[in-house]
This record gives sequence, C-alpha cells and structure tokens, in this order.
Amino acid sequence: MKWNSNKYLERIRQENLENDVAIRVENLYKSFKLPTEKAWGLKQAIINRLKGIKGYKKQKVLDGITFDVHDGEFLGIVGRNGCGKSTLLKLLAGIYTPDKGSITINGTLVPFIELGVGFNPELTGRENIYLNGAMLGFSNSEVDKMYREIVKFAELEDFMDQKLKNYSSGMQVRLAFSIAIRAKGDILVLDEVLAVGDAAFQEKCNEYFRSLHGSQTVILVTHDMESVEKFCDRAILIEHGKIICSGKPKAVTDEYKKLFL
Amino acid sequence: MKSDEKRNRILLKELVKTDFKLRYQGSVLGYSWAILRPLLMFAILYLVFAKILRFGGDIPHYPVYLLVGTVIWNFFTECTGLGIHAIESRGDLIRKISFPKYIVVISATSTAVINLLINIVVVIVFALINGVSPSPSWLLVPLSLLEVYIFALGISFWLGAIEVKYKDIGSIWEVLTQALFYAVPIIYPLSMVAENSYFIARILLLNPIAQAIQDIRFNLITTETATTWNFSSLSWSLVSIGICLATFVIGIYYFQKKSKYFAEEV
Repeated sequence: MKWNSNKYLERIRQENLENDVAIRVENLYKSFKLPTEKAWGLKQAIINRLKGIKGYKKQKVLDGITFDVHDGEFLGIVGRNGCGKSTLLKLLAGIYTPDKGSITINGTLVPFIELGVGFNPELTGRENIYLNGAMLGFSNSEVDKMYREIVKFAELEDFMDQKLKNYSSGMQVRLAFSIAIRAKGDILVLDEVLAVGDAAFQEKCNEYFRSLHGSQTVILVTHDMESVEKFCDRAILIEHGKIICSGKPKAVTDEYKKLFL
Repeated sequence: MKSDEKRNRILLKELVKTDFKLRYQGSVLGYSWAILRPLLMFAILYLVFAKILRFGGDIPHYPVYLLVGTVIWNFFTECTGLGIHAIESRGDLIRKISFPKYIVVISATSTAVINLLINIVVVIVFALINGVSPSPSWLLVPLSLLEVYIFALGISFWLGAIEVKYKDIGSIWEVLTQALFYAVPIIYPLSMVAENSYFIARILLLNPIAQAIQDIRFNLITTETATTWNFSSLSWSLVSIGICLATFVIGIYYFQKKSKYFAEEV
C-alpha cells in the first residue's frame, strides 16, 4: 500500500518536474554471460562449439529498472550484496552497455565507482595525483592549481615524494578521496566511498557530503543505512534486479532491514 | 565543461607518460635499453649472417641494410606485442571508467613509436658513419614508417579485441611473428630468393612490412634495392598498400564492435 502510493506520488512529480529531471532510467535490463565450463581458451571454445554447448549461462542482473533522479536530489540506492546496485551504477557511468532500456542523462555525470582509478604503486604520491586527475578529466595545469588543496585535505604534506606502495591503505584512500572531490559535474555518482580513513577524516568527509546536499545531484550507493538517513532525500531498494521499494529514506531503510529478518 | 575530445587527449597523454616512466624504472641503464636492444640484436645478426655465413657480400652498405631491417622489424613486433595486450593490461581502467577503448591501444603502442624514432636517429648516424651520403629521398622514409605503424595498429586492434576473450591469441601471435621474421627479407637479400623463384620473391614483397623495409632501404641507402614497385610492378605495390589499409579498417571495425563489452569481459 505504502509502496503503491509512493509510486503514484513519483508519477505526479514526474509530470510536474519534467524539466527538472537529471537522470531518467527506463526499463533497464542487463544480464551477463557467465562461463560455465572453462571457456577461456580457443581450444575449449572450439570444443564447445562442436559439442553444441554454449559454454556460458545467462545471469540476469537487472530486470526492468525504471526511476528518475531530479535536479539537486540526493538519491540513495540500497540492497543486499549481488542485488545489482553496482551493475546499475556502471550502466549509469557508461562502463557497461544495457541489453534493453534507456538511460537519459541531462548534464555531465561524474562517477566514482572506485577511488583512485589508475593509481600506480610504483609512482610517487605527486605523480599519482596527476595520473588520477587525468582519469577524472583534469589537465596538468588544472591539477597544478588544486594540488596544494588536495595534499592539504588528505593531510599528506610530508609524503608526496614517496612511492605510493609505501603508503598505508588509509593514506592511499585519503589521497584518492581528496582528488575525487575536486571533480565537478552536474551529477555525482558515489559507490561506497563514505567509509574511509579514521574518525577525524570521516568527519571531513561527512562535512563534504553535507555541503553537497541541496545544491548537487548525487546518487549514493551504500550499505550504511545511517548515511542514507542522514544525507538522502529519497532512496530506492533493489532486490533481485528489481526496485521493490522507493520513497522516504527512513521507509526504505526499514524495508532493507526487513530483508535480513 | 570539457568536451569528450579534450578529456580523451588528457587521458591519452597521461597514459603515455606513465607507460614511458614505468617501463625503464629500476633498471641501471634505464632508457638506453631502447637503443641497446635493437643494436645488440643487430650485432648478433651481423656476426652470424654477414661475418660467418657471408650473406649480402655484394650489397653496398650491408650493415646499414641489416640495421634498417632489424629496427623496423623490432618496431613491428614490439608494437603488436604491446597493442594486442593493451586491453588486458589496462583492464583496471576499463572496468572503472568509461572512455573510448582505442585510447588504450594507442597509448600502449606509442612507447614503441617513441623507441622507433630514437632508433631511426641511430640508423641515420650509423648510415653516415658507414659512408652513405644524404639525399632528398630520405624525406620519403616517414611514409614507410607510417605504413608499418598503420599495419601494426590494424593487427593490434583486431587481435587485441579477440585477446580479451581468448588469451591464446597472444601466444599464437608470438610464434607467428617468429615465423614471419624469416618471410621478410631482413637478414637475407631478396636476390637470394629471386634466384630460386621469381614468383615467391614477388609474393614475399606483398607483405606490407617487407614493402616498407625495402622502400626505406631504397630511399635511405641504395637505389639498387629491389622494392615492390621496381621488382614487381606498381599494381603489386598498390595491392600491398591495400593489404595494409584493409587490415587497419577491418581491425578498427571489429574492435569498435566488440569494445562495448570489454568492461565485462576483461
């Protein structure tokens, strides 16, 4: 009942806010081919073909997903491991190609599927800032301008000429996060990046998320129900590749907790 | 906000820089290996084939002749070797960000291009020392280098796209290039083949690599070199260029078609 009324509300908002839609996802389907036998070699591929074996089985991951994200909205996406959240994000980010359905994006989308993309342990912290910056679309001169701020935010002033492999994992994540938040786009997509660093750094991150709230369109995927309730305007719950609940964060996180009962 | 084109350029530049930096890190001789490797290979071939087996006795400037062949061949194998494995070795990026996948192949092969350019300087110095006199025809050499690069890129795109799914391709290609080495007149002069069979010599010259090597020798060292156009005919020459371009076009087409699924397959 609650779920239905939410759906209805959503439809009304859509009609009224047609121009305010930042992302529209319609009827999205995605499945993966999972190799059943070892299908890695040419030999096996040829044998499989001769035997008439497909060599893989189709695994449905997203089974008809439809939702809108409005301008300036902070949307949370939750669900159990393997429910299709990450696949959905990768589709939004343009990394995967959908089988069916459409994704319409109004503006530029900056995805953080993972922090520190391209980080190389053999390079120094400084070199890695430029490298990771390039992955986010920053030219060298643009990184030059924000270099000090990045280092300061990460609290790594004394380590920039050290190779990344000598960093602790916490330091690496801090550096990556500091670079990531420089990225500017109309829509930010964040996957599980809330839980980084020690308590003091956590507080800084929370501050950053609070600053995004209201002005920036954000999609956040997480298992941390507390952050969903704290930051999100709306949330959706995915189970077996379908949206089973959508609406106020508190209502959705309650549904989520019920999945484990 | 930036255009995609600009972002792609930034990405390509940074990837090339990183590859280059990492390649020779931690080696004592560092970047000089880029020059040393083909020179050492040349020295071995020269010792075995010119001094012991006495190949190329009547060819003027045979050492330069041999060096040109080794440098070009070295570029071709290095380029395809890196290109074919480009998608696999950059799998981490492909799984995490969205960008045109050809960038990865271009960046991987550009290391080979930089090495080639340095080696060409070595070839020129070597040629001058050996008494080859400079001529305006030297300006035509870049065209042949371009031919080799286009051919190598075509193969990289094509086989690289297959390699994502079937890892065997890398090994098969390695064996194939070793066999192909003997089908290209690098260590032996073409006249040796022509003495036995005129037709086989013509077929060998259809290979874009053979065509490029002979053209470079012709333009750089001596007009006595047998090239595809003066040994066979202009139309044979066009066939060879056609093979090169067709490989490139088919390679790109196949690569673009498959690249949508690299992120989930790699």
